[in-house]
Amino acid sequence: MSGRARVRARGIRVHSQHALEVGRPQASTESTSADLSHSDAPSSSGSVGTSRTSQKSKSDSAGDAGPTLLGRDGRLRRDLVDASVCTREKLAHVRDCKTGSSGIPVTLVTNLFTIDLPQDWQLYQYNVTYTPNLESRKLRTALLYGHRELSSKAKVFDGAILFLSQKLEEEVTELFSETHRGEAVKMTLMLTGALPSSSPVCIQVFSIIFKKILKKLSMYQIGRNYFDPKKPVEIPQHKLSLWPGLAISVSHCESRLLFSANVCYKVLRNETVLEFMTSLYHSTGASAFTQACEKALLGLIVLTRYNNKTYRIDDIDWSVKPTHTFQKRDSSEITYVDYYQQQYDITLSDLNQPVLVSLLKSKRNDNTEARIVHLIPELCFLTGLTKQAVSDFQLMKAVSEVTCLSPLGRQQRLARLADDIQRNRDARFELETWGLHFGHQMSLTGRVAPSEKVLMQDHVCQPGSAADWSKDIRACKVLSAPSLNQWLLIYSGREENINESFLSCLRRAGSSMGFNVNYPKIVKVQENPAAFLRAIQQYVHPDVQLVMCILSSNQKSYYDVIKKYLSSDCPMPSQCVLTRTLNKQGIMMSLATKIAMQVTCKLGGELWAVEIPLKSLMVVGIDVCKDAQNKGIVVVGCVASINPRITRWYSRCILQRTTTDVADCLKVFMTGALNKWYKHNHEVPARIIVYRDGVGDGQLRTLIDYEVPQLLSSVAESSSSASSRLSVIVVRKKCIPRFFTERNHTLQNPPLGTVVDSEATRPAWYDFYLISQVAHQGTVNPTYYNVIYDDNGLKPDHMQRLTFKLCHLYYNWPGVIRIPAPCQYAHKLTFLVAQSIHKEPSLELAHSLFYL
Amino acid sequence: MDENNVQCENVADKNLEEVANTVIKFKPPLYRQRYQFVKDLVTRYEPKKVADLGCGDTSLLWMLKFHKCIELLVGVDINEEKLQRKKYKLSPLIGDYLKPREKTLTVTLYHGSAVERDARLLAFDLIACVELIEHLESEDLARFPAVVFGFMSPAMVVISTPNSEFNPLFPAVTLRDSDHKFEWNRRQFQTWALEVAHRYGYSVNFTGVGEPPDGCEHVGYCTQIGIFRKSLTKEAELCIPEQQEEHAYDVVYTTTYPSLQQPKYRQYAVVNEVVSQVDNMRRDLLESLKPQDNRDFMGLPQDTGRPGPPVQCFPSVLAQLTASLEKTPKPFCVGNVFYVPLERLFSLPKVKHLCINIEMLRTLLADAVMLNSDGSAVMVAMQEQDQDE
Repeated sequence: MSGRARVRARGIRVHSQHALEVGRPQASTESTSADLSHSDAPSSSGSVGTSRTSQKSKSDSAGDAGPTLLGRDGRLRRDLVDASVCTREKLAHVRDCKTGSSGIPVTLVTNLFTIDLPQDWQLYQYNVTYTPNLESRKLRTALLYGHRELSSKAKVFDGAILFLSQKLEEEVTELFSETHRGEAVKMTLMLTGALPSSSPVCIQVFSIIFKKILKKLSMYQIGRNYFDPKKPVEIPQHKLSLWPGLAISVSHCESRLLFSANVCYKVLRNETVLEFMTSLYHSTGASAFTQACEKALLGLIVLTRYNNKTYRIDDIDWSVKPTHTFQKRDSSEITYVDYYQQQYDITLSDLNQPVLVSLLKSKRNDNTEARIVHLIPELCFLTGLTKQAVSDFQLMKAVSEVTCLSPLGRQQRLARLADDIQRNRDARFELETWGLHFGHQMSLTGRVAPSEKVLMQDHVCQPGSAADWSKDIRACKVLSAPSLNQWLLIYSGREENINESFLSCLRRAGSSMGFNVNYPKIVKVQENPAAFLRAIQQYVHPDVQLVMCILSSNQKSYYDVIKKYLSSDCPMPSQCVLTRTLNKQGIMMSLATKIAMQVTCKLGGELWAVEIPLKSLMVVGIDVCKDAQNKGIVVVGCVASINPRITRWYSRCILQRTTTDVADCLKVFMTGALNKWYKHNHEVPARIIVYRDGVGDGQLRTLIDYEVPQLLSSVAESSSSASSRLSVIVVRKKCIPRFFTERNHTLQNPPLGTVVDSEATRPAWYDFYLISQVAHQGTVNPTYYNVIYDDNGLKPDHMQRLTFKLCHLYYNWPGVIRIPAPCQYAHKLTFLVAQSIHKEPSLELAHSLFYL
Repeated sequence: MDENNVQCENVADKNLEEVANTVIKFKPPLYRQRYQFVKDLVTRYEPKKVADLGCGDTSLLWMLKFHKCIELLVGVDINEEKLQRKKYKLSPLIGDYLKPREKTLTVTLYHGSAVERDARLLAFDLIACVELIEHLESEDLARFPAVVFGFMSPAMVVISTPNSEFNPLFPAVTLRDSDHKFEWNRRQFQTWALEVAHRYGYSVNFTGVGEPPDGCEHVGYCTQIGIFRKSLTKEAELCIPEQQEEHAYDVVYTTTYPSLQQPKYRQYAVVNEVVSQVDNMRRDLLESLKPQDNRDFMGLPQDTGRPGPPVQCFPSVLAQLTASLEKTPKPFCVGNVFYVPLERLFSLPKVKHLCINIEMLRTLLADAVMLNSDGSAVMVAMQEQDQDE
């Protein structure tokens, strides 16, 4: 397995689920910045051609002007849009009951807390108009909040709509107030509705209330989450400071309102840009410094020390020094040194440092020129983890040691939060004024599906653990493997002997699994991507089955050139292996086994199967992602099984030029897949189950209106007589709930195959959670399934079991994975295309898992 | 001479009308000039304890919180709701946690009035009353001097208020704000101020912000300001207030900034500095052990056309450091362990600044990094471990 593939596989297995915020560029870190925020970074002067037309108006610096209820575009939060899509009512077989009954019951502790409120609780919505009309939301809010009539009431106001938990006496209430300038203002409050606690708007108001409460608990908001700056975990070796935090949300599950909290961490870097530059200078020396510096810094997001804003480094201006002047707003000239001294009482220590350049794009319209901001490296903190940092094993290990909380550790944090909320006077008061009561932590009952047998060629294997059965199948033959007779091995390194020992291991490993590997043609080339490409062009002929490249460099260019050529220009299975991986002591045999399995799949072989009780079932996985080079292109990967045993696949990837992540090429794919099925089985499949991954918040409606009809029409057209029955299931890898189980007097992750289909699910959906991955460290993340369309009418039990079975069929990992195999295949395919190939792979390869 | 004067008057009068017809705009806005004035005072006198009576939307406090000299910053206002809404503006930022300040800083907001006595406002170095007194009803105005000057009795008080002589320059304005109870001309304000200063043992200077337009200089500043300084001679008799324990104000918000005065943050700072310096020394040593011909490992093309290193100060800083370091025991390497003597670390200016003595350095480092058996040196691995499982 190539290093790349190994990382992938590890990625699938480990997934110690912890929400790790690597300080990704949050557009604005909840500005605690004041109205005086125009004293932000000085704009540069003269030479750079500053345009200072698009100053941020004061009303932009939100954060304190009361919560924004509706998004900037005046719409509901996107996940709440999804909540109002009711799919279950159309599915007759689950309308009354969507829960299964098989499996062993298990009691689960959750990260969900009940919120109790009176039976008849309602939220009153008022429309507020001002006469004369006031533009400023700040002023509107100040006048309304300042009014005696409302001062003691629980309220949320977004500048136009006011929500109260208690009804005002009159349907229309007129309030009078005065602005600072003495202008009389009339505020007219008109009752426009009374909302039940389950309504999406209400949920959003509850979220705002809980955000207020976390603020009262002295939590610090960064992005959407809340962090405790007083209890940082410092990792001085890597100049990191990790802030423990919580991601909270309120949702309406089956019959009640639930508050959920997930532990997360904010990774902050305790290093200014200047410190970074100094140490870089130290290691590169003067001559290479400028370039190394620009390479390392451009594109990074920095956080300013004085006003807490984030900027992207677009350039470094080496000609500007802190002693140079810039033009202030009042058009007076001042040096950067003096400016920071006067404004922030900061004395710059290094007067020779360059300035960082950031382009601020106007939010209003695109016509105005970007504004240029100069930032002083000494006053900017680096944020987030760089690619380099993420690939630093020691660093990531240090980070994950902190962030991977065990179920018990998590539970302690949750208990502390609940305790804090209940003890804090202000927090309790806030809840009480709304008539809410923070209830108890919820427990529920899940069911553990029985473990699956793995079917090999002449052996049925009951794995010791579904997490990893590589040992259990060591001596077994795979289901089918074409013989590898003619193949090429291209390498550039100096170590011929390594190649030899690898080849002999590969052949040994192959023969023990029933995969015959002949001796390849070996080609030695120069160490550059073009040399590899030339060798491939020269030596590949129609009888060659596989090209294996041994790369001495982990540079992406090698991989990309090889994969691009062999996926589309000259379709041919290929395998890349890193010399470094081969050089590792003591793992040669297990490595060779893994590569032998991968190569088998790439040649169209089958490794193992599980029992599938349905006789004519096609499963489909769909994933979508954006092209890495061209953001305007969406890569849609579709993978369909083409035999009843679900061991052979038809894979196709289509590039689509759209801005949304919605697939409009599904008909082309489905028709192709159904033809393939027909060719192999001489009939159309009786059932088709589609697993759709890569769905974002707020897309559910589009999926139902746009993707499902495409699938339905291609199914209908495929056969004149018996049409296949279709189910569509949305797969979400990220979800709010976490489940723990109590064993041996401590909390642990629930066993593999645990299904939850009650209480934490949504009343309007046919949905369930399934735990199909192992977290060796930390807490496991359940996968969330939402059946949005279902003609098959399978019992919930069967749907859940089938889904779990499909998690066993990913040939790159001898164990269960967190999503059904077709989704993971589709993901792997889109990833390869989006990262390396950037065009549609040849259809000649569609019958094999060439992208593994 | 006389003629000249007359002419001037005429010009002035003409301008007065003209100006009144155009809207006067100050640049920067007048409120900012007032805040800047207080900020400049803080820069100049470096007070430790500063209060803003009538702090409103806390903008002035926000500007002042950056000052290193301030250790206690207090805002008082009668509008609690406003304080509630604005309070988080004053909480420490991420940067304040990452690079804690040198001295402590506590910011507290009180709900209360400038004419109520609260012992927590005693012994301040500077109390600012920006555009406050003109909002006071006459009986409150009468009580104000006794509370601020008599009771709180800070070292310095700065009071700003509109100068009504300027008002004719504004179109059709009687009072500048509907809540103003009065607006004084310069003579009225100065009479009041001198009287107050005399009674409570202060000296007072007058100035202002908001320059009048050309030709209208005679109206004076738009905002008039009095700076009161306590006379040392009178201090003794006036500084003992009778009721020390009066607490008339309610705390709306209080926050303490992270600072190096707190052991936790001092330790973080020391450990961070030591770890990164030790790492630099280790890398230097590794680098010097490498054969010379391997040093172009970066493979980056030579920088062209730029004379000298782009960040010129780095070498000089390094040179400086090297000079001070030379006298101390050198780091050394035994097997794969790299030792840096604490004595050497202690000679680093930043470390020295944070620790009183080597003993303190040792204590702060003890549970964060590995020390050798007698605690005289920091130990790290010379070569990084293989980066794989």
